[in-house]
Amino acid sequence: MNILMLSCQKASEFIEKKSIFGLNRGERIQLFLHTSMCDACKSYEKQSLQLDSLMEEHLNSELNEKSSMKEGLSPDRKEQIIKDLKEK
Amino acid sequence: MIPPENPSKHKTLSDWVHLYSDDLFQRAFHRTSDKEAAEDLVQETFISAFKAIENFRSDSKARTWLFSILNNKINDHHRAKFKKVVLNESEFVGSKAFDDNGSWMDAVSPSKWDELEGALLDQQEFRAVLESCLADLPEKWNLALLNKFMEEKTAEEICQELNISPSNYWQMLHRAKVQLRICIQNNWFNS
Repeated sequence: MNILMLSCQKASEFIEKKSIFGLNRGERIQLFLHTSMCDACKSYEKQSLQLDSLMEEHLNSELNEKSSMKEGLSPDRKEQIIKDLKEK
Repeated sequence: MIPPENPSKHKTLSDWVHLYSDDLFQRAFHRTSDKEAAEDLVQETFISAFKAIENFRSDSKARTWLFSILNNKINDHHRAKFKKVVLNESEFVGSKAFDDNGSWMDAVSPSKWDELEGALLDQQEFRAVLESCLADLPEKWNLALLNKFMEEKTAEEICQELNISPSNYWQMLHRAKVQLRICIQNNWFNS
């Protein structure tokens, strides 16, 4: 493997690393060289970001639905906590 | 029974339960999606507060103090849960994504997706595909993804919390995302 040329596996790893921690200069150049020649990894880079925003939106909307009932702590549990504290 | 030497300690804590337990519970529930766990966390928060009340400075806000205790409890909860799950990648029957040279396997090589319509998530069918693809991942990867998207935290904080190295973390997310992408490509775009 050419020292400048990343494999697709490595390139896709860099794509994920980039979106989480960022890349150093050398890594950025390697990734740029690879994606400018590799259509699959170019697609991967785009789709990786799309997946992130889909997941973020999906998981949070799911959570909002669940917590939209705005329930407080159950009265039973409150009583239990106060009772437990008295025994301390 | 209430020890006579400090009846005010119990009174203060009881007042706090009435004033703040609902808010604390909602925070805990929002971050765990687990009602039972959230109730336990709130209970543990008050027990800890009771034990450490000497450290509470009356010039600070009780609410803020209780939330800081709760946040630590929630972090411990996530860490324990993550630690408990064993990652057994050899049992994972995902697609092999790369060949020995690190090139994409032909069958799963990323191909262009049709322009994503903005409202993909409005389609119930797509949400179902996304959910079943997430459910197919090893639980440990899934927890790592949940932490990334549901917690308002930096990557460094998540690594610390889950007690994994940064490279461990992005490599785990890489494997998860590669598999998730394949699953969605196969079950949505190609089907």
